[in-house]
Amino acid sequence: MTIDLLKDKGTPPEKQRMSWKDLVGKPISKLDDDAFTRARIILMNGLELDSLRTKQVALRMNRDARVELAQLMRAEHHQATAVNWLIGADHSPLETTIAYEQVAIEVTAAVAQLEPDEYLAQGYRYALLEDFDHLYRYSALLDRLEGKDANNIVQGYTDIVPARPTTVHHRAPEHDLLRPYERSAALATKLHAVTLTGGEYQTHDYYMNIGPLFADPLARQLYAEIASVEAQHITHYGSMINPEESLLEKLLIGEACEVWNYAACVEQESNPRVKAIWERFLDYELGHLQVALKLCKDIERRDPAEILGDTRLPPGIEFKSHREFLKETIARETSLRKDATEFVSEDQEGRSSLAYRDVLNADGSPSAAISETYSWTPGTELARADLAA
Amino acid sequence: MEATAPGHNRTGSGLNPGDTQLMLAAVRELSPLSPISTRQAEVERLSYISAADTIGSIPPPLSVTTGAVKKVAAKLKGVSPNIFLDKLGERIAFERAGTRLYEAIIAKYVALIDNHGDSLLAANTIPTASGQNGHGAPTSETALETLHRIRSEELGHFRLLCDATTHLGADATAQTPCADVIATASMGLLQVITDPRTTLAQSLNAILTAELTDNAGWELLTDLATQAGQKELAEQFSRALAAEAQHQAIVTAWLKSLVVDAVGSPAV
Repeated sequence: MTIDLLKDKGTPPEKQRMSWKDLVGKPISKLDDDAFTRARIILMNGLELDSLRTKQVALRMNRDARVELAQLMRAEHHQATAVNWLIGADHSPLETTIAYEQVAIEVTAAVAQLEPDEYLAQGYRYALLEDFDHLYRYSALLDRLEGKDANNIVQGYTDIVPARPTTVHHRAPEHDLLRPYERSAALATKLHAVTLTGGEYQTHDYYMNIGPLFADPLARQLYAEIASVEAQHITHYGSMINPEESLLEKLLIGEACEVWNYAACVEQESNPRVKAIWERFLDYELGHLQVALKLCKDIERRDPAEILGDTRLPPGIEFKSHREFLKETIARETSLRKDATEFVSEDQEGRSSLAYRDVLNADGSPSAAISETYSWTPGTELARADLAA
Repeated sequence: MEATAPGHNRTGSGLNPGDTQLMLAAVRELSPLSPISTRQAEVERLSYISAADTIGSIPPPLSVTTGAVKKVAAKLKGVSPNIFLDKLGERIAFERAGTRLYEAIIAKYVALIDNHGDSLLAANTIPTASGQNGHGAPTSETALETLHRIRSEELGHFRLLCDATTHLGADATAQTPCADVIATASMGLLQVITDPRTTLAQSLNAILTAELTDNAGWELLTDLATQAGQKELAEQFSRALAAEAQHQAIVTAWLKSLVVDAVGSPAV
């Protein structure tokens, strides 16, 4: 698929209409649909919500663009509804959590390999190993609390093993920051940063919403712990984004990001009904992009090509297993830590992180407790041959 | 753990008669009573039910050789092989979850003993299915020992089912449609038992719901195995059913003793 960000007009916003029946369609099958169909749904819901969030901030800071922003926000909100409601009710909150972590792992692994800036690629690999560890901890909880096998969700694509232990993810806030990309950075770099920021924000908000719905105290603690790390990841990825970009520049990059991701979804989707939704929403985003282009020209008097480069889409995320890349990264980089914006060895970690961590872990570590001696086994831990009945 | 006692429960309309009257006045003004109709909601639900796809499909046989499906069907004459495998998957999921439910209630019971220094559940005297001497003779074990034994038996049932499923050429790790559905139905049981605030009696009530479901499920599976001509499987399932019947009887007896004789104790 070849898309020209300036020339492809998509569907104009005034024609983007959906009824409640359109918004609340048939969900996917947890059993029969490919795990990456679910991954794309989760990712695109996250990106729609981030797009909505960014526009809400822009609305509060730009008088001239308020009408257009309000119109675009409504479209993003309804798209988020249509996408997120594709998840069926037979996904327990914890099973959905497993799916969220799989998305974080496979999407971040893909982006880490696409990213041309070596420092930012390191940034993606760094947080990747933390989300990978979260999958292991939540899988232990799913097994030991609900008696379920996380592989029913990950479908063999993603290993369930520890990486950098969640216990040491807790850093003082100043050590979550990264050096931002330059305004002249490649479009790919900008799209990657916006994608991951949106993904982590969604994950954070999801855990904050469902954490208190668990009765089990250890589940409540684990969600509190990992939600805190996801909050760190929002800062980690969000700080990659150049803080000198104007609001309308961010709006333009945001729309391009949605186009880029929907295009990848269209190309790789195996469920025909869901593919049709991706195609429809790709056209919607191209329509939104046209509005953003006009705002950029009319209000900031800027040539969008300054921001979007040669207007072709960079290579998209590959929705597939990145098992080998993960194994190599675990072997090399599990012991890395942060000191301000730099990646350092364990003994050079920023001192304030150690004090911060000691406070949080003072009464024990939920992630360590729930996964004590846990090794994933097909059919759950109870199927282990060495477990006495 | 604390006893359930009278206190400041604020949920009833009778607690605030004045406010209730004001609310009724608002209703008379803004949504006066009319003959009840839920037709619009029913029509909408009907349209979704009519158009819905299935939860999912029966997993394919583990063997990829030609005729693997027919081989499974040949072992299960007289019943739908798909239904049989689906119900096996359902039992697997339920026994696995049941093992974890018993682990949760054991934790609750240990907390009760540790904090209050007394075991409020009577020692079990209901015979095991085989008994100490194989003739259904009475057995005597502490309540904690019984809970552990039941948990072990649930785990044993899970393994029996995995072996049966594998023997039939199917994948015991797959989540069948009925396995998925029963897991959804069971979520509330887990929430009740793992909540630190629920009493032992409230938790046993949830366990009783699980045991009633368990018994019904094993009865159905035993019938299916018999009908399929799987004599050995039917015998194994019948023994599991007998054990589940004992579990149900024990939990029923405990629950009755708590809500009749132990009112005011931390367990109720």
